[in-house]
Amino acid sequence: MSSSSSKRHSILPPTSTSGPKPPVQFSSSITIADSTVLTGSNPILISSESVLHPRSRIDSLAGRISIGRRCIIHERATLGSVGTSGRITERGVTLGDYVTVEVGASVEAGDTVVGEGTVVGVGAKIGAGAVIGRNCTITARSVIAAGEVLRDNTVVYSNGMRRVDRRGVAELRKKGQARQIGVLRMMIPSNPGKFQ
Amino acid sequence: MSRRPPRGEYIETDTGNKVARKANLVGTQNIMLGGKTVIQPEAMIRGDLARSVQPSSSSGGAPASNTAVAIGRYCFLSRGCCLRPPGRLYKGAFTYMALRVGDHVFIGPGSVIQAASIGSHVHIGANVVIGELAIIKEYVKILDGTVVPANMVIPSFSIVAGQPARVIGELPEGGHEAFELRELYKTVGNNPQPAPS
Repeated sequence: MSSSSSKRHSILPPTSTSGPKPPVQFSSSITIADSTVLTGSNPILISSESVLHPRSRIDSLAGRISIGRRCIIHERATLGSVGTSGRITERGVTLGDYVTVEVGASVEAGDTVVGEGTVVGVGAKIGAGAVIGRNCTITARSVIAAGEVLRDNTVVYSNGMRRVDRRGVAELRKKGQARQIGVLRMMIPSNPGKFQ
Repeated sequence: MSRRPPRGEYIETDTGNKVARKANLVGTQNIMLGGKTVIQPEAMIRGDLARSVQPSSSSGGAPASNTAVAIGRYCFLSRGCCLRPPGRLYKGAFTYMALRVGDHVFIGPGSVIQAASIGSHVHIGANVVIGELAIIKEYVKILDGTVVPANMVIPSFSIVAGQPARVIGELPEGGHEAFELRELYKTVGNNPQPAPS
């Protein structure tokens, strides 16, 4: 039995690549997986050393997407989906530096800003036009309403409870993130050429 | 001479695993399936996030295993769930740790699992989030929509719910047969059999 006959094509089905490619502006040091989906018509800007996991999804239909330095966008996370308002603005989603968007989280477009060092937890939703401060933690499955403003160091947990993070671990978290990116760069095969 | 059989929705392996063709398995070389495990469409397993730092040789020189996700027998991974190894800083370096899943584990649709280990006979409902390095012991029921925080240890025979998760009850004695997934295993695949009523 030849090895080619046991080849299975099912393991990673092709991602849909319908529609025109959005204009992208990549730093040379980013890691972007082959099965990341970039759609839309506005520019997508990704700054240095950011990592996009397989099957993360960025949609620039409702405005420009800019991702800061050393961000990690996990699998199935969605940036820039058109929210319920359907508003189309110039700046869709702006992520600061060191932002983590966890598995299945969604950040809607419409002048949405996520500040430096913020973690958006698994399956969380950030509504259109929300402004999240620096070093916030949005825990898993939390929902931030459209247009809401969160101050720096806020922790959103338990379906809407708030408190202020006074641990002062922001710098340590950044160091950890840098290490994590160092490992991910070795693990995730990057293919930025596909999107350019 | 013989026409190839029509391609079914599932790939059925010699050990009885039923893996949907539309499942997203990344890094298959680091994923171990124990046999008779069902992986439904759109389930995702991140096997590429393997351990990058080997633990020091204090463990007696065991062969370095690179397995990222190990799954036991008769597990059921529903549509849209996601299994990924947990990561943490270990001796100053970032590394992913292995995710071990026991036997007869049901994982509901849309759940995201980043646990360190899940014991046997665990039922995880729909849209559950299991935080990084959580440890779930045997015979645990996790209700729909639960968020298990990172590093939580859930003891045996617990019923867990809430956001963040709390132990809200205890499983009664003698109800263990409800966790068996042999019947459920038969109801999916390329020639599924109806569930016994």
